[in-house]
Amino acid sequence: MQSLTFHDLSKAYAGVPALGGVSLTLTPGRVHAVMGENGAGKSTLIKLIAGVVRADRGWVEKDGVRLPLAAPADAMAAGFRVIHQELNIVPQVSVAENILLGHPAPRRAGVLMDWPALHTRARAALHELGADHIDTRALAGHLGRGDRMLMRIATALVAGGEACLYVLDEPTAALTPAESALLFAVIGRLKARGAAILYVSHRMDEVMRLCDDITVLRDGRHVSTTPAGVTTKDAVIRAMTGRAVSDTYPPRQTPLGEVVIRAEALSSPRLSGIDFTLRAGEILGLTGLGEAGQRDVLRLFLGLERATSGRLVVHGARAPRSPAAAWRAGVALIPGERRAEGLMLQMSVRANAVLPHLSGWAARPQTEVRQAAELTTRVGLKSTGPDQPVGQLSGGNQQKVVFARALMGNPNLLLLEDPTRGVDVGARAEIYGLIRAASARGCAVLLASTDLPELTGLCDRIMLLHAGRQVDILGAVSPADLLARIYETEN
Amino acid sequence: MLKSLRQSGTLIGFAVIVAVFTLQLPDTFLTARNLINISQQLSMLAVVAATMTIVMVMTDFDLSVGSMASLAGIVAAVVFAAGYPVWMGLGAALLVGLAGGLFNGFLVSVIGILPFVATLGTLTVFSGAAFVISGGKTIYGRDIPKGFADFARGGVPLDGLGLAGLKLPYLSLTAVGVMLVTWVLLEHTTFGRRLYAIGGNREAALLAGLRVTRLRMIAFGLTGLGAAGAGLMYAARVASANPTQGSGLMLDAIAAVFLGMTMTRMGEPRVGATLVGVLLLGVLDNGLTQLKVDSYVREILVGAIVIVAVSIAALGKRR
Repeated sequence: MQSLTFHDLSKAYAGVPALGGVSLTLTPGRVHAVMGENGAGKSTLIKLIAGVVRADRGWVEKDGVRLPLAAPADAMAAGFRVIHQELNIVPQVSVAENILLGHPAPRRAGVLMDWPALHTRARAALHELGADHIDTRALAGHLGRGDRMLMRIATALVAGGEACLYVLDEPTAALTPAESALLFAVIGRLKARGAAILYVSHRMDEVMRLCDDITVLRDGRHVSTTPAGVTTKDAVIRAMTGRAVSDTYPPRQTPLGEVVIRAEALSSPRLSGIDFTLRAGEILGLTGLGEAGQRDVLRLFLGLERATSGRLVVHGARAPRSPAAAWRAGVALIPGERRAEGLMLQMSVRANAVLPHLSGWAARPQTEVRQAAELTTRVGLKSTGPDQPVGQLSGGNQQKVVFARALMGNPNLLLLEDPTRGVDVGARAEIYGLIRAASARGCAVLLASTDLPELTGLCDRIMLLHAGRQVDILGAVSPADLLARIYETEN
Repeated sequence: MLKSLRQSGTLIGFAVIVAVFTLQLPDTFLTARNLINISQQLSMLAVVAATMTIVMVMTDFDLSVGSMASLAGIVAAVVFAAGYPVWMGLGAALLVGLAGGLFNGFLVSVIGILPFVATLGTLTVFSGAAFVISGGKTIYGRDIPKGFADFARGGVPLDGLGLAGLKLPYLSLTAVGVMLVTWVLLEHTTFGRRLYAIGGNREAALLAGLRVTRLRMIAFGLTGLGAAGAGLMYAARVASANPTQGSGLMLDAIAAVFLGMTMTRMGEPRVGATLVGVLLLGVLDNGLTQLKVDSYVREILVGAIVIVAVSIAALGKRR
């Protein structure tokens, strides 16, 4: 292969653009990094290259020939090997079977499994990675996370045909430094063979060390492509966060109230050193590199994560013991996975909105309709009426239903997890308005987010977490400084 | 249009079945006597299917209802045989039903076993318990109090409606009562709304502050209670109790709920729709028996109808 170019790749979900006209040229023997904040379009780009998702627009050109890219088989035939971030393994079967999954198994007499040959091929693939310590007979589910990643990479290596591009999505997220070093050596070998490598990672130092070119995406658009040698960490961070933020975030207009929540030297199975106070009306951000414990901090207030030491006082009482107790105590939650954790998609707007607030024995449809109508007006929901199934709404409007549910009881503590994930720009501004309005009414807010401008734009203070540990609490900060601080938590 | 065809497919099928039997059995099928007879024949199934709907609303199901019905009949008969009054036999049987159902709910919601496995296990346990308690024998004759058996034979006279000599059986009225109560429970109480929410998305329901564990336990308890009630109705109707007499109820009840689910907007179980499923199965059974169709052929037909109805619904959904 001499050249490989992706032209004008575009994809929108339910009318919300995830990737808009991104072009990318990859060179054999070079490692090309793609960087960007969450929601910048990295995952979409990878899915398009892997043929898992079909592009709305755009095409691939390899050595001057235009190739189809509509299905995973097309990507395979083109020589693209994609190692996804989610480790798709079959835990109940052996490592060897996982590595050769999707390939014709070696057979004897056409029907019987040729187990020795299977293991030999799997071992050869692992050997190429320098991962001889993995037993091909072990169950895949018994491997550590690092070994699982090595196994997945072996799967990509063993694939037949000529491979011209390896795509690695956050490959080191689960690896120890020693395992990462092993992986970098493998990448070096693949490079030397003349393959192009597309490397997606959040880890700045790693990217600066390993990669030859760096492309930055922001809000689904291409921002810059520069050789790693002529750029700096700061320049990349600036490119990643350079969104105009001034007008999107409604400013604070009310003073903070009393301290209502107090966490003192709190530890739990997944958290340590959590120590903060929160005032009525205050918005405290929670962030960190990847999944650093933001979610677990929120779960403390739902009784789903229990403190093993330290104290947590919520409005003068002990922390709720269950989500049901939490809602009764005036805690409301906007979960991160709207479809999996938030909504009953087949059910109506009304049923979804009033669910936590049902009381007594008799259902009161008229009251519910009135309450739902009142609330949906308040959150600016666009629907055909309270009986429309939520599944028919756009992402932004679905999220407004979740907000209507949370705000109905006039909560005194609002727990938000990525409240604008998959939400278009217009609805975003409205959601920020709702958060600010709740804060102005004296509701304390915990905002876990991977969207840095959102954090710096809304929060009074931001807690920085790393591996479940509270690292620092920052006051006013710019998105670029915040990102720099997040990267520092690694060291 | 296609959607409404999908929803009404089962109803059309029901109408076709009624029409065919009416033509084939002009003198006996569409008569007041026969319809009353059908209503009595399917009253047990109606009770089990209605209460089965309660757990199926949460996308769970209960395989143990048939053996619970047998066990409840045996428990009541044993209490009668020991010389206790009728109300104590009924109370003991219903209590066993409620306890068995709550135990199913405990396994499913507290321990976290799949409903299929949990209720398959309790199916065997209840069935074995029925054999142990009865000593494997049918309890009948003098051991069954007259008042108990008379309930199944009795009814409200319909002379006033110009149907001299006919009675609306108490068993049918009981089934209607259970159907109504279940309907009110699922459609008009917050309890029912919460169950539908759990069926829609259990994780979301938990995070929205529903006491999912408790609600699932109660729902299974009610299904067990319904199964025990149906077992009592059965025992009263045949004036005897044997440890296998309820076993046919489970598959028919689940089939009735599935048939009903083909008729609702989102494919969710509804009591009213379940009733249509029960009627379809009951009418089919009655008509085929009158036409002297072999009972094995009948089974093939019932199975095929369920598969066809659910397939049409699935294809309609996919579009």
